[in-house]
Amino acid sequence: MAAIEVEGLCKVFRTRIKEEGLKASFRALARPAYKEVKAVDNISFTVEQGEILAFIGPNGAGKSTTIKMLTGILHPTSGKVSVLGMGPATQRRKLSYRIGTVFGQKSQLWFHLPPIDSFALLGAIYDMDKAALKKRIDELTERFEIGDLLKTPVRKLSLGQRIRCEVAASLLHSPDILFLDEPTIGLDVVVKHRIRELILQMNREQGTTIFLTSHDTSDMEQLCRRAIVIDQGRIILDVPVKKLKYDYMNRKIIAVRFTSEYKLSELKGITPEKSGRMGARLSVDTRVCSIEEAMRWLIAQGGVADITVEDPPMEDIIASIFEGGGRTLNGGR
Amino acid sequence: MKLRKYFIVTRISLQNSLAYRSSAIGGLLFFSLFIFVFFHLWRAIYKGGEVTGYSLTQMIWYLCITELVVFGCRSGVFSQMNDDVKSGSIAYQLNRPYHYVFFQFFNALGNMVFNLVIYGILAIILGLIMAGPIPGFRFANLPFALISVVLGIVINFFFLMTLGLTAFRLEENFAFYLIYQKLVFMLGMFIPVEFLPRWLQSIALYLPFSYVAWAPARLVVAFSWDLFWQVIPMQLVWVIVSILMSLGMYTYGVKGIQAHGG
Repeated sequence: MAAIEVEGLCKVFRTRIKEEGLKASFRALARPAYKEVKAVDNISFTVEQGEILAFIGPNGAGKSTTIKMLTGILHPTSGKVSVLGMGPATQRRKLSYRIGTVFGQKSQLWFHLPPIDSFALLGAIYDMDKAALKKRIDELTERFEIGDLLKTPVRKLSLGQRIRCEVAASLLHSPDILFLDEPTIGLDVVVKHRIRELILQMNREQGTTIFLTSHDTSDMEQLCRRAIVIDQGRIILDVPVKKLKYDYMNRKIIAVRFTSEYKLSELKGITPEKSGRMGARLSVDTRVCSIEEAMRWLIAQGGVADITVEDPPMEDIIASIFEGGGRTLNGGR
Repeated sequence: MKLRKYFIVTRISLQNSLAYRSSAIGGLLFFSLFIFVFFHLWRAIYKGGEVTGYSLTQMIWYLCITELVVFGCRSGVFSQMNDDVKSGSIAYQLNRPYHYVFFQFFNALGNMVFNLVIYGILAIILGLIMAGPIPGFRFANLPFALISVVLGIVINFFFLMTLGLTAFRLEENFAFYLIYQKLVFMLGMFIPVEFLPRWLQSIALYLPFSYVAWAPARLVVAFSWDLFWQVIPMQLVWVIVSILMSLGMYTYGVKGIQAHGG
């Protein structure tokens, strides 16, 4: 059964244009000029129950706007949305018992109070009786390993600790769907990994449907089987993550620093992007040359002082999707 | 409808105020300074002769009470809402199973109870130091006057809520707040209604602003049953009107909310 169905969804924001200069300001006072911004432009997709879907795209692509329409905070300009068979905007309160949300950049916990107080309030908001709430808190405390944090004021928690509490808080009422909006933003690699594991566990054990937005491609790689890529309000790709990885994320960036001056020999699949006297940035096509091969080759080039391997940023991946042409695009331009 | 969540949020926000009490100290200083300045102003004015309706002692106490009402319900509902809409944390508050407007009221209530107690104590101390007891003051009447204080606070809260809710639709709504605050200030908080020109008095008594600060303060310093029965029905009317307005503004606002910030 489908947990989320979206058809032809649009959201247009009207923003005021302010031109430079005093004269323009006076003109705007008398007759304000507006510009319409299509934050979400005719998107359609379905999410099955129990699925983990990555909804990815660069900043400002329309990810959060979509989440806000799915959770009933924003009313769509046009199009159809159905979440668990309900219209989010019209049945917001009824729907809210069955969905949970985490906005990585905002907090739902009371800043000056320990998380346990926020949990008690959330339990009351979701009409949980005391015994059930206590049982659920115990369960989540154990799973998220937040026993020590529960009685510490939120302002004294680190970001990673806080996010663990945030995710636990949004799961108190055992929602059927969990919306995660940039849950790993600003976290270090270890904590990111931990959060992802917890999310996977929730999905496996309780069948929670997970809708995740991120501009971090590793979130998607480790969590999801399917990804929707969105840019400028439109879906440009809706494919299994495997395919996305094979077709578009086949590049790694290696930054290398040598101990002395060097000269690079040729290797198939490696193109230098930038080279200096003592170091270089290389782009590796992993379909042609594995990272292992690349490393061996690099070490053969001279004394290596430092190596970092990175994923290209989301923006580059999206650019390569566009370059890839219309063949694989679903509903693209 | 289950009401437990509304009581719990009051308790939690009271706990939060207690945990964050250091912020209250700044407010207490400001409150004292404000009363101190106006105390000297009124004393200078009264040197020129008695003013109709209020003795100097009554005037000082009037000042303490109006300040208490306004500071006491300085729940920050207006700025809080603006911040929530602009930062986008409104997203956490809207998709919950409660009525947003009433939940916000009970949320603010915890803070208001805290403020009322600490500012109340300070107001009584300052009043006693600067003016001494009011001659002819009867404690038996105080509970009735306090009803009016509470109603004044409720009216103020829901009007500020209504204005705060305009943030859902408007990018800039601070002007509403300034105009409203100035009207409450001029039509009661600073100058008792009795001091206004007669034509303005009769208009003011039909408007909500004087029922926020003037009515409760007048009842505390010069209680009379005539005034009580004149003021309380008007306050009740404005309580209902302000609640209806905030509900209407919420229904209108939430349909077209412009959520910024991510």
